Amino acid sequence: MNWRVRLTWWDLVLLAIMAVGVVLAVVRYAGGIGSVANINNAYPWGLWVGFGVMTMIALGGVGFTITGLVEVLGRHRYHALLRPAVLMGLLCYISAIVMLMVELGRPWKVWMILVSWAPSAALYEVGWCAFLYLTVLALEFAQVPLEQLGWGRLLGALRVIYIPIMLLGVTLSHLHQSSLGTLLTLIPHKINVLWWSDRLPLIFLFSAIMAGPAMAILEHLAAARWLGFTPNLDMLAGLARIEAWLVGLLLVFQIGDLVYRGGVDAALSWTWFAASFWVEIGFGLLLPLVLLMMPEVRASRAGLGTACGLIVAGVLLHRLNVAVFGLRVRHWETYTPSLGEIGITLGIAAGALFVFGVLSRILPIHEELPTTPASPPRAAAPAGAWHGAKSLP
Amino acid sequence: MTTPSAKPKAMIQDNTRCIGCRACMIACKSWNNRPADHTEFFAGAGYQNPIDLDANNYTLITFNEIVTGAQPDWVFGRQLCMHCEHPACASACPTTALTKTALGPVVFNESRCIGCRACMQACPFLIPKYDYENLNPKIHKCTFCADRIEAGLKPACATVCPTGAISFGDRDDMVAEAKRRIATAPGTYIPEIYGLDEVGGTSVLHLSSVPFEQIGYITGLPKTPMPDLTHRWLRVTPHFFALLYAVFGALTWIMHRRSSRSESKGDTM
Repeated sequence: MNWRVRLTWWDLVLLAIMAVGVVLAVVRYAGGIGSVANINNAYPWGLWVGFGVMTMIALGGVGFTITGLVEVLGRHRYHALLRPAVLMGLLCYISAIVMLMVELGRPWKVWMILVSWAPSAALYEVGWCAFLYLTVLALEFAQVPLEQLGWGRLLGALRVIYIPIMLLGVTLSHLHQSSLGTLLTLIPHKINVLWWSDRLPLIFLFSAIMAGPAMAILEHLAAARWLGFTPNLDMLAGLARIEAWLVGLLLVFQIGDLVYRGGVDAALSWTWFAASFWVEIGFGLLLPLVLLMMPEVRASRAGLGTACGLIVAGVLLHRLNVAVFGLRVRHWETYTPSLGEIGITLGIAAGALFVFGVLSRILPIHEELPTTPASPPRAAAPAGAWHGAKSLP
Repeated sequence: MTTPSAKPKAMIQDNTRCIGCRACMIACKSWNNRPADHTEFFAGAGYQNPIDLDANNYTLITFNEIVTGAQPDWVFGRQLCMHCEHPACASACPTTALTKTALGPVVFNESRCIGCRACMQACPFLIPKYDYENLNPKIHKCTFCADRIEAGLKPACATVCPTGAISFGDRDDMVAEAKRRIATAPGTYIPEIYGLDEVGGTSVLHLSSVPFEQIGYITGLPKTPMPDLTHRWLRVTPHFFALLYAVFGALTWIMHRRSSRSESKGDTM
């Protein structure tokens, strides 16, 4: 393990954004939510839930998607993406928890979910699943530092339970990613017809799955650039083909659902809702689909980066559309995120990026990088690709 | 009313009898220990004050200027928690801080609340309010004076109404009474009981002389309980969990076997 990290200019920018977030969070704890946020009685969630929780968990779906692809479906050629994906998942979920600690009115009571019995509440299910999945992610990722520290016995124990734990993680993710959509099916009276659907749970699940490969590709390209290794473009092109299918399927499903529900008129009207909807569909699904269908795009860094960036932005816009922009209560009630809300949200996101950057420099996250000769103990090791992949090409 | 019967209760809000005196609002504040607030007169719709329910006001008489005859007239409406038979707020609460009691009130248990505000988001009547400035914030809404009802008393608002616009009793009796009023004075009432089957029925029944949307009520609500929307998904969750775990486990095993076989043959993937 290499503890000496030289902070770059980028790290300092992220630290500065985090510092602003911390200051705003102090104001929030000293003066209440109302002292920094514009959320109100009509719009009780706003940006904090729409971005900080809903979007972060959707993007954190990269953990279970890549794990599922490599370990469950046995696509070992994407093995190099596994550790970065699990770390991204872990950090996204931690970000969501940190966001909740700011956003909840009584964060010190959050454990109440774990001692309640409320199976009819979507949030109860989300809370439990996310809590368990965070534990799973931590158990999976803990093996990386443990290898470095040479804690062989603990590591051995984690390896024995790896497969069932990994399966638990993939399963739990399917449940709570969809339950976040279930949560919003309860408010057809508030969400615009363009987004409210009986099938929101499926749309949420599919879009979280779709976000996974895009996040993994973006991360690989970014890491190659900042950490200085040659990206494996063959591997990325393969993943981009899978991603094109996922984007296409979601596009068909979402448009089909809209037509089935009779929302076409609303989509073709001159409203801000329709505009936001078409930006989401056009730039978040249609354009990346067209791009990813072109072999030249799949073979180029710029092409992959653009297409995957659009996909991730599209998922973000979808969550904001469903949970923030697409909501209307009564005509005199409005909501615009305050600078305080934006600052805290960005601060948390910057924190996740910063920690990812630091960890990827002190731990062997990217197998393309030469490892320091700490020679991990590879003793009692059964199990999957996570452990240095006996079935690698 | 000394011995409380265990039957579910309900309240009739007969807007045709309301004179807009707001005694119910004062009685409500008084019983629930809500402070007086400084409000701005004419900030909202004419004489209505305050403009909306909030953390200090659990009920509100709305003042609606409506042209029925030759000149505009006040028609009053009232906002308060409807105490749904199948409350969306309670179904959305991850910690059961909101529950429907046997006598009808939907009550808030402060000690269980984590402040997620899912109830506010869920309520089709937009009733629960929050005190965002408070460091230990709570959900605020009409309690149906659950404590008074348990003790065999009427809700505070029902005791002070000088014109009999608020009636309280067993829900069955209240539904019959509301129907009787409409039947005996069809010229006074529109033939509709708001709350009879809105979102599966509520414990507050409103009567009016004009269509409810004209006096600020949320109309067009489904006649089925709101929680049905989420239950149909959440009901299958445990089965879904078991099924997915088994399928993924099987897939992992098959893929693992396939790759170790091809390895023993000396192939690569």
